[in-house]
Amino acid sequence: MAVDWRNFEPLLIPKIPNLHKIEVFEKHDGYKQLAKVLKEYTPEKVVDEVKAANIRGRGGAGFNAGLKWSFMPKPDGKPRYIAANGDESEPGTFKDRQIFEYNPHLFIEGATIAGFAMHIDAVYVYIRGEYKAWIDMMQKAIDDAYAKGYLGKNIMGSGYDMDMYVHSGAGAYICGEESSLMESLEGKRGYPRVKPPFPAQKGLWGRPTTINNIETLANVPLVIKNGADWYKAIGAESHPGPVLYGISGHVNKPGVYEYPTGMSINDLIYEVCGGMRGGKKVKAVIPGGSSTPPLRGDALEGVCMDADSLRTAGSMMGTAGMIIMDEDTDMVDVLWRISHFYHHESCGQCTPCRDGTGFLEKTLIKIRDGHGEMRDLDLLLDLCTQMEGRTICALADAAAWPVRYTVTRFREDFEKRVKNTVYALA
Amino acid sequence: MPEIFIDNVRYEFEGKPLVLQFMLDQGLDPPFFCYHPSLSIPANCRQCYVEAGTPVMNRETNEWELDEKGERVIRFFPKLMTSCSLEASDGMVIKTQRTSELVERAQKDTLEFILVNHPLDCPICDQAGECPLQIQTYKYGPEGSRFEHKKVHKPKRIKLGPKVILDAERCINCTRCVRFTEEISKTEQLTIISRGDKNYPAVAPGTEFDDPYSLNTVDICPVGALTSSDFRFKARVWEMNQTPGVDVTNGKGCNIDVWTRDNLVMRITPRFNPAVNDHWMPDFGRDDITRLNENRISKPQVKLDGDSIKSSWSNAEMSMAEKLQEVKPEEILVIGSAFSSVEDNFVLNKHFSALGAKEAVFSPFIKEGSGDGFLIEDDQYPNTNGCRLLGLKELSPSELEASIKESGVKLVISLEDDLVGRGAVSAAAFEGKFFVYMGSNHNETSAAADLVIPISNSVEQSCSFVNTGGRIQRTVAAKETMYTNRKLNLEMSMGRLDRYGTKFDNWVSDRNRIDCMPAWEFLERLATLSDQQFGYQTTRDIIAEIASVNEKFSGVNYDRIDDELGVPLISNEQEAKSV
Repeated sequence: MAVDWRNFEPLLIPKIPNLHKIEVFEKHDGYKQLAKVLKEYTPEKVVDEVKAANIRGRGGAGFNAGLKWSFMPKPDGKPRYIAANGDESEPGTFKDRQIFEYNPHLFIEGATIAGFAMHIDAVYVYIRGEYKAWIDMMQKAIDDAYAKGYLGKNIMGSGYDMDMYVHSGAGAYICGEESSLMESLEGKRGYPRVKPPFPAQKGLWGRPTTINNIETLANVPLVIKNGADWYKAIGAESHPGPVLYGISGHVNKPGVYEYPTGMSINDLIYEVCGGMRGGKKVKAVIPGGSSTPPLRGDALEGVCMDADSLRTAGSMMGTAGMIIMDEDTDMVDVLWRISHFYHHESCGQCTPCRDGTGFLEKTLIKIRDGHGEMRDLDLLLDLCTQMEGRTICALADAAAWPVRYTVTRFREDFEKRVKNTVYALA
Repeated sequence: MPEIFIDNVRYEFEGKPLVLQFMLDQGLDPPFFCYHPSLSIPANCRQCYVEAGTPVMNRETNEWELDEKGERVIRFFPKLMTSCSLEASDGMVIKTQRTSELVERAQKDTLEFILVNHPLDCPICDQAGECPLQIQTYKYGPEGSRFEHKKVHKPKRIKLGPKVILDAERCINCTRCVRFTEEISKTEQLTIISRGDKNYPAVAPGTEFDDPYSLNTVDICPVGALTSSDFRFKARVWEMNQTPGVDVTNGKGCNIDVWTRDNLVMRITPRFNPAVNDHWMPDFGRDDITRLNENRISKPQVKLDGDSIKSSWSNAEMSMAEKLQEVKPEEILVIGSAFSSVEDNFVLNKHFSALGAKEAVFSPFIKEGSGDGFLIEDDQYPNTNGCRLLGLKELSPSELEASIKESGVKLVISLEDDLVGRGAVSAAAFEGKFFVYMGSNHNETSAAADLVIPISNSVEQSCSFVNTGGRIQRTVAAKETMYTNRKLNLEMSMGRLDRYGTKFDNWVSDRNRIDCMPAWEFLERLATLSDQQFGYQTTRDIIAEIASVNEKFSGVNYDRIDDELGVPLISNEQEAKSV
C-alpha cells in the first residue's frame, strides 16, 4: 500500500507564488485545458474521461464524479445548473478555503469544463457565510475570469455560454447537504428534500442540477491535462488523485497538506505533521470530519487514507479533515462536544434527528457530569439504532455514528465515568 | 390490473397511488402525523414506516424471477420507507407494523422521540380525545419513557392572530399549518423558525395570522399546538355531540360538523366533501355559533301599542288566522327567503298559494366582489339557487321595497331574512301593513314586525339548501328545541352524556332549548285551523313531495343526499350562477 508521497509535487495547490492572480495562472498553463476541451472535445467525451479517471467526490460520499455527471438528462433547451459545494461546515474540515485563497482559477476552469460537459447554464458557488474574506477572493477571481472571457457569453469564441455566481451561506451546517443547499440557494429554509426526485432530475428551481464539491471540480483540469490513466496512477488504486488533507489536533505541525490518496495515517502524523505534540501517544484519530467514526490510536498500523482501507478499518474517508487526539484527551468530553454540535445543527425536520440529537447530548452531559449510570451507555447505543437511516438526509447518521463508535471503541473511558450501579431485579 | 401485497393480502390498484393513501383507502390504520391528503408530502414525521420490496424482473424474459419454491424473488429496500412518499408499483410487497417487528419497533422509536419534548399535558389540552399523537401513542407507542432530562421549553400561549393561539411546546413540527398557508390559503403567513428541537411555527415579526381560513390550521394540527382562541378550554371533545350540517353563512355551502353540548353549539368544523369544500372552510362560518346560540327568539311575540310582548302559540295562531280572514288573498305579500331551507320556502309558497295569494317573492343577498374564488362566494345566503329552482319570483331590493309599499298590500309575511338589517328594505316600508316575521333571531326586521313567529334554524331541524354550484345538501338536527327530543328523533346524535347523563349532570339541562318550531310546522298548524293541512310529519315528506311535483328536484331524497354527499341539481356551472 505504500504510496510514493515523498516525491509528490502538489497539483491542486502548486507552490507557485501569486497563483491566485489570473496572469500568473495563465502563465502556468491555466485555462489551456478549458480551451482544449472547448475546441477538441465533445461533452460526452469529457464525461467519459472524467468517469474513467474515477475522481471520487471529495465532499464525503466518495461517489465517482463522472458517473454522477452522466445521470444528467439530455438537454431540452431549458436551464440546467451546477451547485458547487463550498459550505465546508463539517467540523475538522478546512480544505476548500485553500483553493479559494491560493488557486481559485483551477476551480473555475474545472467548473467551466464540467459545465460544458453537462450543458450547464450557470454555476452557483455556495460558500459558507463565515468565509467572508474567501467569498471576496472568489468573487475577484470570477470577475477576472469574466474579464478575460473565460466565463460569460461565448466562452473563448466557442459559442458556449455559462455564468458563475458566488452565493454566501448563512451559518447552517445542514446547508452543506446537497438538497438543503439547493433550498438555501432558492432562498428558502435549509430543509433537505425528500428523494426521489434526485437533483439530476429535479434540482434547483425544478431543473436538472449536479452538486459537486469544490475540490472535486478542481481535480477536473488535471484529468483533462494529463489524461485519465495518469490520474488513476496517483495514490490508491480504487480512490485515486491528490487530496487536501486538513489535519488538526495534537500534532506538531497541523495544517492543510496536499498528498496522494492512500497515505498511511502514521506517515501523516509522524512524517508530515512532525509527530505528536510533546511526544505523546495517539489516542484517537477522526479521519474525515467529525461525523466519521473515530479510530483507536493503537489500531492505526497499516490504515491508509482511502475509501477501501478506511472501510476495512471501520471508518470513512469523509472530507479528509483529520482530527488527531493524544492520550490525555477525554473521549467523553470529545463526544459530548460533537453531539452538542449536531444537536445545535439539526434542522428539525425529521423526528429521529430533531429529538434524537438532543436526547444524545443530554445523556452525554449526564455522563460527563458524573451522574451517568451503566445503563446510559446502552441507552446511547439504542438511540443510535433508532436514528441511523431513518431520516430524509444523513445528518442523523452523522450524529449517531460518532456516538456509536466512540462508545464502543473507547468504552473504558465511559465506564470510568459512570456510576457502577447494579439494580436488583424485583 | 397491477397488484400490491400489504401484510400478505393482495390488493389491486389503478394509477400510481401513494402507499399510505392506498392503505387508508383500504381501511387500514397506518400511523402518521405530517401527511395530509390535500397537502404536499414532506415525509418529516417518520411515523408511517413500512418495509417495502419490489419483485425482481428478469431483463431478458421480462418476467418475474422466481426462487426454488416457485415464488417471486422480492428485493427489499435497504432502509425502512415512509409509505406517505412511496409510490405503489406492480407486485410491490409491503410489510406494516402488523407483520414486521422492525416496523413496529421503528414506529415505537419515532413515538419515543416525539414524546421526548412533548409536554404530555393531555389533561389540560384541548386536543385530548381527538389527538392523533395520543391515539397513536396508545396504539403503537412505547411503554414508559427513558428520557430523564429536562425537556426543551418554548413559548406558550402565543397569539398568532385574532383566532389562533400557539403552544409551541406541544408542536411536533409536522409543518401541516405552514403547508396549509402556502398551498391552500396561499397567504404564506406561517413559517417554521429556529432549528432542531427548538423550532416552532411563527408569523413574521409585526404581522399577524389574519388569514380568512386560519382556523383550518387548528383542525389539521395533529396535536394541541394550535388552538382556537374561541373554543379554547370551552369543552372536552368527548362531551360533545358531532352532527353533520351545512354552513349557511355563505352561498358556497361548506359541509360542516356541528359540535353541541347541552343544546349549545360549541364549535363548527369542516366536514370532508371533495365536490364542495374539500377539508376546509372559512373562519366566519365558524363564528356562526353566536347566531345559533344567542339572541334567539323564544316564544311568539306580538306588538301591542308599540311594545313587543311574548305571547302563547295559540294566541299567535289565532291572531294570524284572524288576520288572514280580514284581508283578501290578493292583499297578501309572501316573501320567501334565500336564507331559509328549500322545505320552508316550498311549504310557505304552497300554503299561501292555496289561500289564493300571489306566488312568493324573494330577494337574494349578493355582495359583488366579496368572494375570493376559493370557498367564499359573493352570494351571502345559502339557498339562492334553491329559491330559484322552486320558482319563487326573484326581486331586487328596490323592487321588493316597492312591492311592500304598494297600497294594495295589507299583510306582509316574511320568512327568516333580515331585510332591514341587510339594507334591502327600510323599516318604514312596513308601516301601515300587518307584518308577520318568521325568524329565529332578534334583529331589526323582527323589531319592525307586528307578529313574530320563532322558527327553528338550520341546526334544529333537518333541512336542505342548494348552494351556488347548484348542489342540494342537507343538515341534520343537532340541537333540541322545546318540542324535539334527541331520544325520539333517530337522526339526532346521542353523545355519552345524552345517553348516560342524568338531569342532575351539569351538562344535561333544558336551559338551552328554544321555544320554537320549524316554519313548515307552524304553517301546518295554521292550516289545521282552516282544515287545509298537507299532512307533513317530517321534512322527508316535504322533500319527497318537492321531488314529485318539481322536475328540477326529481330523484332527490335525504338518503341519496347522505350517500352521495349532496346531489347536483344544476349540471352546468354557468347555469348555476344564473338559474
